[in-house]
Order: sequence, then structure tokens, then C-alpha cells
Amino acid sequence: MNAATEQTGTETPSPRHAKGKRPDFYAAEGMDEAMSMIMVLASELCTMRDRMDTVEQIALEKGIDLGAEIDDFSYSPKSLNQREERRQAFFNRLFYVTQKKALEQATEDSSERYQDVLRDTAKG
Amino acid sequence: MDQNIFQQAPHQILALGNHDEQMRQEFSKSFRQYIQNALLPGLSPVFEGRVTRKFEKEHGRVPADRHDIRKAMVTDSYFQTYASSTRIAQELLWSSVIDPLERDIDVLTEKAEALSAQSSAVLKTSEDFDVPRYVSAIDIHCMPGGYASSRSAKDIFAGALYDRGVYLYAMGFMGPDNDDMGRSVCNYIKRNLPDFEPEIILDMGCTIGHSTLPFKEEFPDAEVTGIDVAGPCIRYAHARAAAKGLNVGFLQENAEETSFADGSFDLIVSHILLHETSGKAMPRIFAECYRLLKPGGYMIHADLPPFGKMGPFMQFILDNETYYNNEPFWGAMREVDQIKLAREVGFAADTVRFDTAPMAVMELSEAEQAALTDREFVAGEYAPGGGWEVLIAQKGEAE
Repeated sequence: MNAATEQTGTETPSPRHAKGKRPDFYAAEGMDEAMSMIMVLASELCTMRDRMDTVEQIALEKGIDLGAEIDDFSYSPKSLNQREERRQAFFNRLFYVTQKKALEQATEDSSERYQDVLRDTAKG
Repeated sequence: MDQNIFQQAPHQILALGNHDEQMRQEFSKSFRQYIQNALLPGLSPVFEGRVTRKFEKEHGRVPADRHDIRKAMVTDSYFQTYASSTRIAQELLWSSVIDPLERDIDVLTEKAEALSAQSSAVLKTSEDFDVPRYVSAIDIHCMPGGYASSRSAKDIFAGALYDRGVYLYAMGFMGPDNDDMGRSVCNYIKRNLPDFEPEIILDMGCTIGHSTLPFKEEFPDAEVTGIDVAGPCIRYAHARAAAKGLNVGFLQENAEETSFADGSFDLIVSHILLHETSGKAMPRIFAECYRLLKPGGYMIHADLPPFGKMGPFMQFILDNETYYNNEPFWGAMREVDQIKLAREVGFAADTVRFDTAPMAVMELSEAEQAALTDREFVAGEYAPGGGWEVLIAQKGEAE
């Protein structure tokens, strides 16, 4: 029995990482993390752009000039708090691979264990 | 150019989430589409050019098989970005569904329970069920938590995660209900076995019943049952069928050794099940199919083609799933002689064969069909070649 057999994510009640050693694709240390971060950022950028697009279209249908409204907006402590929560959750997604690697270290999941499973599965 | 704007058909327990969560899901689907359209085609020239030249220089010969190709490709920067992007898309996909699911799971679980209570179809799961190691050792498809881990006797989390996740994975090519494989096999039966009218049908390894339900729709008078080793998927499947008003039973059972009596079924099917099992389990599943079928009954397993049907480069591309998408049996399964295996357990030798079931979703319009079903098989593309590979075998009438 290996600790990896029982591993689950630690940052939320639901598992966020899949059991089984994550392969390294790049030789350069840190590159795999960087690629994941870049794509998470790209995802968030697209999501926000999509949201702005939705908002602008709805507003336009209702005859509201959002550009002016946004520039004049002032933030309440409640909205500042919500934004900070959102940013922290964003960092959680941004550091996904770093956390997976830490989990594999903590639970002794490895390429060797993955190879063992492949071999064992082919046979039995 | 027309873009892929396929959307999943909503139902009462589908976890979609709010606007931003749905847009993150859409992003993962778009990213996969981009990898397939724009990154995958670049692998061939990279391999045929600089990678082969480098291999020849080092080994004095060209790469001979998929193992050589893998060795040569993994150090190439283009392949690294392709493979890394594919893996990241998979991770983003699951994350984007877990976000809303984690928040809404209690509500969804209650809804599922209420839906199941309305259905007269059988539902059987057990918290003591012995999940086989080939399902529990590694989280297949990198789905966090795996298919079978259950938090309670009512838990549907894995089923809900899979329902939305696999739609994104398939980029909608499985149709709005994710049921193209089942639908394609039904069409195949109606066209190729016109006199065969199955009255009792079993779907093995049904997960949440995506491919099970078309059998009830296409053979409405038949009794249809789905089995799977994953309790949360079986519970979700039962509730989802109820939400769609279909009377289909779902039981947590192991296809290697079920509790059904000999000769219980006219037709036993599976859809992308075999490659999620193991070297020892596969012959046992074939033998169990033989035991469970009535004389004259059919076994049909739909999966991807065996390695013998493609060249080494295609094999290498397909085999990426083994190494990068937590598919421990994907590669090894494709080298198993399934024809021999089916004959060995007793199926009438001359009835055992591989065939192609054209994808039902591609038959929506003649123009689409012409454009898509004529393509060659391209490994790594979703729904390659416009058809599913089926292994078909009949139990002798005199058994």
C-alpha cells in the first residue's frame, strides 16, 4: 500500500488532482508549471472577455451606457472582500501543477508506481 | 469558417454552473478543439523531418515501431508543447466542472434521489462493493477522485462530474446527450441484423448510461439494464434516465462476474469499456458475456481500432493516452487478439469479426455525412474517421 492510493486534493473538500504521477513534458525545470499557469491565465482572460461581452450586450439592449457607469463606480468594503476571495481562488487554479507535485511528494506517488500499475493491469 | 458551437442538452441534474464557470468549461472545450485542429496535424511533419533525421543519426536506422517513435518524439519541443497542452486541457476541463459541482452537490444529490424515487426501474448499489484495482489504482482520464470513489450511499459526485466532463472532452461530437456510441451501435444492429429484435439488453460498463439510453429509445419494448463498478455513476445514471422519462435499470455489478442467471440476455453491448479493464479481466468479461447470452444472442463491444489496423505513427499518437491521460490498459489492450479471445470462450468462430459502426451524429445531414465519414482514421482526433470499431460475436443457436 502506497499513500498515493488514498491521495485526494487538500485545498478543497473535493479532490482536485487525479491519482497517478503527472508526466513531465519539458526538460527545463519549471516549464510544465509555467505552461499550466499560462493556460489558466488564458482561460480566465477569455472568461472575463466573454462576461464583459455578455454584460455589454445586455446593457445595450436596455439602453445603458456602461462605459461611463464603470468609470464612475465606487467600491464598498463588501465588494472589495468579494474581489479578494475571487483572486485567492484564482491563485489556487494558477498554481494547480505546483500543488499536484507537492501532493505527489507528500503521498509518494511516482513514475515507478505508474509503471507498476501498467504492468500489473496488463497481467491482472 | 463555421466554428464548433455544439452545446450539451440540459437536464435536471446536469452541473453547468454560473456564467463564468460555464465559460471556463467552454474554454477547455475550445482549447481541445484548437489542439486537434491546429497542433495535432503538425506532429507528422515534425516526426517525418527533424525527429526521424535525429533518430537515424543516433541509431543508424529509422524508427521501427511506436516505442522507437515515442523515444524519439518525447525530446522534441513541438511534441512537448502538443502533449503538455493536451494534458493541461484535460486538467482545466475537470477543474471547470468541479467548481460548480462542489457548491451544488448537495442540491443535485437531493434532486437525483427524488428523481430515482419516481422511477420503477431497478437501482442497486452497495457501499461494500469490491471495485477492481484496474479502476481504482489510478484516476482514469485524470478525473480527480476517479469513477468509483463514493462518499456516501447517496453520492453521485463522480457521475455528475463525468456527465459534464466527458461532453467537454468529446467537444460535443457525441451529440447533445453524449450518446453517439450507443446510438451508432443501435443503427448498426438495425441495418446489419434486421431480423434481430432483442427483448432483453445489457450494457456493460455503462458509467452514467450515456450509451445505454439509446437502446431503450430504439428498442422501446425491450428491457434494458446498465451495469458498472462505480456506485456514484450508477446512482446518477438511474436518476438521469428517470429525468428523461426512460425506464432503464442500473446495477452496480462487475462485468467479469455478474449476479445474472445463465442465458439472461438477447444482446450484450459495451461502449469504450474494454480498454478500461485489464489483461485478466478481458477474457473473463468475454466468458461472462457468453454465459449470460441466450443461444443466438449477440455480444457487441464498441471501442477504438486495435493497433494491427494502423501504422506505427498512429499507434504512437493513440498510445499517448496510456502515458498522459491515465489509461493504464489503453496500449496493452490494443495488442490483445480479441477475435481469438471471443472464439476461445465459445462464440461461433465464423460470427466473430470487427466492423465499423458509422457515427450516428454524422448522419444528421447527408452533406455532413459525406464530408466527415469519408475521412481516414486519424489517431488523436476525437471521433476519427467518422465511425466506431465494433467487435461482434454470436452465441451458437444450438448451445
